[in-house]
Amino acid sequence: MTLIHVPRPDVKSAMNPDRPVNALLKAQIQHLHDAEGNLPLRHRTDIYINAIRTEGEAAEYIRRVTEAIDEAHEAAAKRRARPVIKRRRGITIAAAADKGPVAKGPRASGQEKKSALKRGQKT
Amino acid sequence: MTMPPGLDNLRHIVVLMMENRSFDHMLGSLKAVDPQIDGITGQLSNPDTNGNPVNPQPLAQFQGQLDPDPDHHFPAVDLQIFGGDTSPTRQPNMQGFVKSYFNQQRDVGHSQKIMYYFAQNQLPVLTTLALEFAVFNRWFASIPGPTVCNRAFAHYGTSFGRVDMNPIYVNEPFKSIYDRLINANPKHTAKLYYYDTTSSTMEVANLLQNQPELFGTCDQFLDDCSNGNLPDYAFIEPNYSDHDTDSGEEVANDQHPDHNVQAGELFIASVYNAIKQNPNLWQSTALLVVYDEHGGIYDHVAPPACTPDQFTASTNDTGTGQPFAFDRLGVRVPAILISPWIPKGTVVDRTFDHASIPATITKYFLGDYSPRSPRETSADVFIEPNVAPVDPARNLLSLESPRTDCPDFDV
Repeated sequence: MTLIHVPRPDVKSAMNPDRPVNALLKAQIQHLHDAEGNLPLRHRTDIYINAIRTEGEAAEYIRRVTEAIDEAHEAAAKRRARPVIKRRRGITIAAAADKGPVAKGPRASGQEKKSALKRGQKT
Repeated sequence: MTMPPGLDNLRHIVVLMMENRSFDHMLGSLKAVDPQIDGITGQLSNPDTNGNPVNPQPLAQFQGQLDPDPDHHFPAVDLQIFGGDTSPTRQPNMQGFVKSYFNQQRDVGHSQKIMYYFAQNQLPVLTTLALEFAVFNRWFASIPGPTVCNRAFAHYGTSFGRVDMNPIYVNEPFKSIYDRLINANPKHTAKLYYYDTTSSTMEVANLLQNQPELFGTCDQFLDDCSNGNLPDYAFIEPNYSDHDTDSGEEVANDQHPDHNVQAGELFIASVYNAIKQNPNLWQSTALLVVYDEHGGIYDHVAPPACTPDQFTASTNDTGTGQPFAFDRLGVRVPAILISPWIPKGTVVDRTFDHASIPATITKYFLGDYSPRSPRETSADVFIEPNVAPVDPARNLLSLESPRTDCPDFDV
């Protein structure tokens, strides 16, 4: 079995985080910026993408948004995993034990109600 | 009727898509080693802006040469392919590369560097893989344009009418290959491995919808290979930027100009080694190493016409004064299929483009599936469906037993 040696580049000369950001990274930044707009506010960065000039700056923004998307998914998964509290229909009112029932007066007819409303009276 | 053992054993398909290098630039030197490989000959040239012919030369450098980044947007690629001919009856002549690169710096001497290619010994990984396994003479970018839309063809079988780098908003009904697999019944597994969170993915639409299920990092890919947890289909993205991490400096390894080409060689070797070092995985996996587009760099093979997609890019979108019906492929790119079931020295002359990726994965794992784009349904497949009878003339995984003489890379 042949073993092929693979030369390593010199990292010091190959590496340049100050390299101007290329068209591919600019596109990725724009795509992630659009994606960031879909995230809840608490997951968004405060980075102004038009100010990104270098590969290093681009890398930082890309990392922040990618991790934010990851966090948003994790938060959603945690919410789904919470036990669901079932709510009863209607409202239970505690009985007022010391008060008797309130007597009701005769009901006003429709005509009487309209007249009373015109006069500004309660019916 | 028995299945060929290579296909019968196949459980995983892995695609590694690198950036922006043409076939002649990376593999053209191999014509001198194997005449079947359609690479560089002495008859090739491009005119410079003075009308002088410029021949391809093995003078490519790992870094610092193709700066500025050669233009690979739609109008520039149109010039590269058609040499400046804008007539309705024009034919591709591949004569516009030097003229196109001249437009960026107005330097005749510098513009000629677009014709440079790598000598074989400069790219020990890529050239070894091409000679040891199956190299494709006719794998083209899906459209004559830039990265985002070409990568979309690899994920969706279409770019939804886009020829530029703007975000692609997925229009139903064409689902990504990942969605098809994970929503199938029975369910299949798929993973898109990006290098790390700082490099992230170019496939942002899926990142938003499916982050936990579909995405992983390169470190996870290495672990999954070691532990035998590789999904049915895996797509790997390289590192797109030089950046610092907690464990040190990471050099971009996508090979996009002006990133270091040797760093990309190391990355390709590490992906190959990760699969090969697990013997069970090695015998049940096919790895495709392919490039998304040619990056504006010279290649001599004219892209053919193809089945039109159902979308059309408008005159405003193309920037050439003409609409585009997605009826012509982009420039040729390196593409190599790797498996111990492939005979050494296989050269494939059938035509492929990136729509062949979802076409192959879909047919192999899902069989009949719709809806798919017209480009995908007409694309050739690089692995035959796992259904008898298999055409022996088309099956690349054709050996009766896996090879034991495949190379290893010392990384």
